[in-house]
Amino acid sequence: MRLMTTGKAALLAGAMALVGSAMWGGPAKSEEIIINMAAPDWPPTRIMQDMANASYKAPSGNDVKLVIDFIPWPDYYTRLAASLTSGEEKYQMAVSDSQWLGANIEGGYYMKINEFIDADPGLQAVFEDLHPNLVASYSTYPHRTENYYGFPQMPDVLVVYYRQDLFCHEGEMAAFKEKYGYDLPCSPEEHNEVHWGQVADFGEFFRRGTGDSLGGETLNDDFYGIAYQAGKGYDFSSMQINGFIWQHGGSIWDETMEPEGQALGVVNSDVAVQAFEHYLSLTEHMPPVVQTGTMDIFKVDELFREGKVAWIIQWIGFGESAIAPELSKVHDKVNFARMPGLLVDGEIVRWSNIGGQPFVLTTWNSDTVIKEALDFCKWWLSTPVQHEFASRGGQSGLQSVYTTPEYMEYRPWNHAFGPSLDWQRDVWHIPEFFELLVQQQEEFDKAITGQISAKEALDNIAVFQDELLRDVGRIE
Amino acid sequence: MAVTTYHAEHGTLLERFFERNRGPLLVSPALAVLFIMNIFPLLWSFGLSFYRYRANRVKEPEFVWFKNYQKVLTDPVVWERFQTTAIVVTVDVLLQLVVGFLLALLFEKTFPGRRVLLMLVLTPMMLSFVAVGAFFRYYYEPTFGLLSQAVKAVTGEPFILLGSEVGALAGIIFADVWMWSPFVMLLVLAGLVSVPKHLYEAAEIDRASWWRRFWTITFPYIRGLLLLAILFRTIEAFKLFDIVFLITEGGPGTSTETIAVYVYRVAFQYFKTSQSAALGYILLFVVIVLTNLYLFFVRRRDVEEQ
Repeated sequence: MRLMTTGKAALLAGAMALVGSAMWGGPAKSEEIIINMAAPDWPPTRIMQDMANASYKAPSGNDVKLVIDFIPWPDYYTRLAASLTSGEEKYQMAVSDSQWLGANIEGGYYMKINEFIDADPGLQAVFEDLHPNLVASYSTYPHRTENYYGFPQMPDVLVVYYRQDLFCHEGEMAAFKEKYGYDLPCSPEEHNEVHWGQVADFGEFFRRGTGDSLGGETLNDDFYGIAYQAGKGYDFSSMQINGFIWQHGGSIWDETMEPEGQALGVVNSDVAVQAFEHYLSLTEHMPPVVQTGTMDIFKVDELFREGKVAWIIQWIGFGESAIAPELSKVHDKVNFARMPGLLVDGEIVRWSNIGGQPFVLTTWNSDTVIKEALDFCKWWLSTPVQHEFASRGGQSGLQSVYTTPEYMEYRPWNHAFGPSLDWQRDVWHIPEFFELLVQQQEEFDKAITGQISAKEALDNIAVFQDELLRDVGRIE
Repeated sequence: MAVTTYHAEHGTLLERFFERNRGPLLVSPALAVLFIMNIFPLLWSFGLSFYRYRANRVKEPEFVWFKNYQKVLTDPVVWERFQTTAIVVTVDVLLQLVVGFLLALLFEKTFPGRRVLLMLVLTPMMLSFVAVGAFFRYYYEPTFGLLSQAVKAVTGEPFILLGSEVGALAGIIFADVWMWSPFVMLLVLAGLVSVPKHLYEAAEIDRASWWRRFWTITFPYIRGLLLLAILFRTIEAFKLFDIVFLITEGGPGTSTETIAVYVYRVAFQYFKTSQSAALGYILLFVVIVLTNLYLFFVRRRDVEEQ
């Protein structure tokens, strides 16, 4: 009896000690936190998911999992917007095109991150290291102010993909020289100095029919010289046309100039019309699908990988598929260079529309999730992770990363990325951007498919923009 | 019966309640789903059509009476899209009727391999819209597409069907006819096989012509089903979205943008939520008018026959 009582007392003491240690000390229990992220379905986000699964450990000790909802690009905006506006609060983070910042910030969905940057020297260092054009495009709203919302997930620029086997083929080079009186560029360095006048020659020169000879082989199908985006969907012509307009010295409606900045007379200025006509003139050397208004970035990618085109302009994000043996017929014949510019008085004028995306935090997260999401962003933008991302085909916006010699070795297009960042601009960030974009794409498409002239298209766009932007008080 | 009565008299209150309301209780889950998924969104969007509201703006909705309806009905773009839709519906349904009818005449007879062929012919209507859209997009594609390659073999030049307004409309209509003619065929075939054989035998004895036999014997049997096919296909063609969006995205320009595609654009690209709701209800009204027209014709014929 006595023994029993002693045993009970010992058990009780043991139990109390266990409860006590759980309450006031002992090892902390990690919490499982899932960060649901909306992202477009393409290699840069797939790589991020793989890397996060393989190596992300939250500094807090919590078990943080990144779960990406991969959404096909053409539907991405609609699907994300539907989720955000429905109030379902499904995503804690989202990869967002920079143009959507205004709409989703004004809608109350994207979280401002200034206070977190101010409180965190690590984040401050990241922002100082990023190329200023990336910060302006991916993080700021209103555009080019000091209100920050996003971190770069995958910075991207338009570059040239070309068939090195053809451009460096002795017979083709000799024939080109004979016909045009100058050398066909072969190396990436030579291609970096190409201007649009030469591109028209490439388009004409490499257009071959079935039975013709190309690079010493007889073709069993038609072959085309050049291709760039000219599709009706999303922004699949605006991103290229804007570059032409800026290079020619024209402008799109400039949100940083509101309310004085005008659309009428600017969007449809003579220079802008000339630039758009220049863009249209090159489409005659492209595969016939361009005449249907469905030659978007995916079609350009497909045409190139199928070996139907000698030279294209494409986002770097598609580079991995172009060099993958299982996906590309030309995987071992491709090389890369900077996008051409306009030759003016012997100098090449360069401007282009920036691509790529930031990721953002949504506004309905708890403090714990915000902290974990910010820690994830810091991990993503840390030097070793950015190097690994680049080595697997992504791009880094950190100057300390993309300027290193090893970065140039990761992928054959990396040499073109850094220098291109200096001449990137972005399209509108205002909440009305999608209405502007949809109408503009429709008008561009009418011109691309030969239904109206370049001037008619730009006049229609200018009138629409003037009306809409006056209506919302952005033009006075 | 005796068991039911015993339970009704002797069961607990709950059991008696279930026993007495078995019917309503069995259908109530279905009704609840119907209300949540169909009726409530319909009422909600109908209410929304009287407000000024955009789903992508924080601004509170503002009650504007019939302004959205007025705006939509006076918008020339809407009438252009209705025009495009009318062309698609007319040609599409007409071709489906002709092709479906001819197929039904073919399959009315028995011949070797009929079952296998019938199954093949029915396959398109069992496919998803996305599969059909993707298939035809590639089929019409001028660089790789089968159609272009076939034409090129003859002319030496690639064929760009979707490059012109007429060609793009033809491409969409062909795809829809390919997909839905079998549906018309099924309905017509059901009518054809129901015709008593002795009527044809009597007509043969009377030496009636093919046309007379068709008009006086066959047609009365298939008339009702044919009208049903017209109704179903007209309503569906009026709402045509998937195939258009997948094959042409409404292009070139806006030349193949049907009213259903336009509603989508207004709702999810221009984010004029309440205007798109108003347009959606106008669309619903048109479909209801078409349905009533059909019912009117069917009833009139029934009265004439009686």
